Amino acid sequence: MKEFTDTEFMICQAARLLEDNKTVFVGWGMPQVVALLAERLYTPNITQIFEFGAVGPQSRLPFLRGTMGGPQNTYRSLQWCSMALAFSYAQAGYIDYGMLGAAQIDRYGNINSTMIGEDYERPKKRFPGSGGGNEVASYCWKTIIVMSHEKRRFVERCDFITSPGHIIDGKSREELGLPRNTGPWRVITSKAMFDFDEKTKELRLIGVLKGFTVEEVVEDMGFKPKVADEVVELDPPTEEELRVLREEIDPYGLIIKKGRVIKLD
Amino acid sequence: MQIEILDRGEAEFHFIDPDDFREFVRDKKTRDWKDKLMEEKEAVKKFVKDGDYLAYDFSSLTRGPQSLIREIIRQRKKKLWICAKFTLLESALLAGGGCVEKIDVGFLGFGEYIARKVENGEVKVYDWSNGSITYRLLAGAMGIPFIPARDLLGTDTFKKSGALAIRDPFTNKPVALLPALNPDVALIHVQEADIYGNARVYGPTVATLETAMASKRVIISAERIVETIEFRKEPNMTIIPYYLVDAVVHAPFGAYPGGTQGYYEMDAEHYLKVSSIKTEEEMQKYLEEYVYSVDNHEEFLEKRVGMKKLKELVRKAEILEGFR
Repeated sequence: MKEFTDTEFMICQAARLLEDNKTVFVGWGMPQVVALLAERLYTPNITQIFEFGAVGPQSRLPFLRGTMGGPQNTYRSLQWCSMALAFSYAQAGYIDYGMLGAAQIDRYGNINSTMIGEDYERPKKRFPGSGGGNEVASYCWKTIIVMSHEKRRFVERCDFITSPGHIIDGKSREELGLPRNTGPWRVITSKAMFDFDEKTKELRLIGVLKGFTVEEVVEDMGFKPKVADEVVELDPPTEEELRVLREEIDPYGLIIKKGRVIKLD
Repeated sequence: MQIEILDRGEAEFHFIDPDDFREFVRDKKTRDWKDKLMEEKEAVKKFVKDGDYLAYDFSSLTRGPQSLIREIIRQRKKKLWICAKFTLLESALLAGGGCVEKIDVGFLGFGEYIARKVENGEVKVYDWSNGSITYRLLAGAMGIPFIPARDLLGTDTFKKSGALAIRDPFTNKPVALLPALNPDVALIHVQEADIYGNARVYGPTVATLETAMASKRVIISAERIVETIEFRKEPNMTIIPYYLVDAVVHAPFGAYPGGTQGYYEMDAEHYLKVSSIKTEEEMQKYLEEYVYSVDNHEEFLEKRVGMKKLKELVRKAEILEGFR
């Protein structure tokens, strides 16, 4: 029997998507762990870029959450630059992948990381805001969103659209002035994987973690997504992925221990 | 030719006419090679006023100007509008000290205390993003009224900001105009400075130069004060030239409880202590113990942190390759 957390699944699934010899704009927290796992196992020549200005660090292991732009996460960088330059690399088209988390997401991949509630002046819950999320989602060629699969997170319209998806209030990215051929590319959750329908730009279920059914996944969403004709079964984390995650990258379990434990025969 | 305005964010924003800023720079920013070394107390008293727009660089985890922030709280400055470009602890502590009225939000971290202040409407926020605020500072540093960018377009972040969208006359596509940001005062912590204000940092710079150049007044705190010849040996490492700077404060461990690359690691336990503050009572108790009841940064380090802890944080930092 194999035991892992749904967070571990999500991290492994996202790490398998990155390509070698590409650049990736990495958001704070879970995306960092995904990039570290990918770098360690699948894409040794990927260049990570961080909004605080570290370009191409070979981050020290184990992962420590708190250090942000400190030595841990900027170790052996190729360049230390400014935030304006880091975002300009993305705005000018140099960054292939973006990787972000989200508190809420809607049918078109718009992201909320600002607030929950209907009254902006008196939010029910206030989050930190965009950070660099807006820029990552606006500028990277392909954005990967990594988030836990909960009903309340999948909404018809986000309470607040912090970062752009494919369509906002009926308008396409290009009509809004965002760079063409960009936008959310995959959404990886703790149970499933989605892409976006080429024509309608709607979220579409394309993969489900082994042990779950399409129905279970869809039931756990605030709206009914499109479902691909053929939904693939997503492999659980491999022994090697789990070993690297647990022993080398996150031995303190700062990220991977969160979430529900899944047991597979 | 008329430029077509497509959309307008609804928020007020801090703005100075670039010509007014230029004249301030001409008349009030000295180019004298004068010794600007002073204590935190004097620097804050001289250059931070109630109602000022305050910017600071990097975050409370890394190379943040924490000793200067504590001094601002100690002097009970009021009605500040702060630029929370990329910030965690500072905004909560400044709000706890009753210093803050408004926050321009890029990333507004830390904990329930500050979130509740916003939810209650006690602190007003204006949503931007880290990128758009940084580009605003860049425009402020360039002496121009706005900078075009493609950030924020179409989002609610745009609506709650002070940005503008126009049809770009070159491409005929929508583009966002971000108003320049020229703060009244900037606080920047660096690894090394000389007594005139030349300064350099090791590690990513976030918006060190942009913030310093765009701000009317600049207070530098530095781990080490070095001779000017050090800058002349490695001029490509100089991030801030002296004529941008109004005050230099010698502040070893100035970023505590955050870390400073090559010098000391952040104090994770102290962080946890602050980030878990939920109530007003807990916050006031914290501020009393760590800010109000000590006279200055040295006393804070001696009596509230202690040599044992500082030595431990220095040891943890390990001077890694590339930091010197």
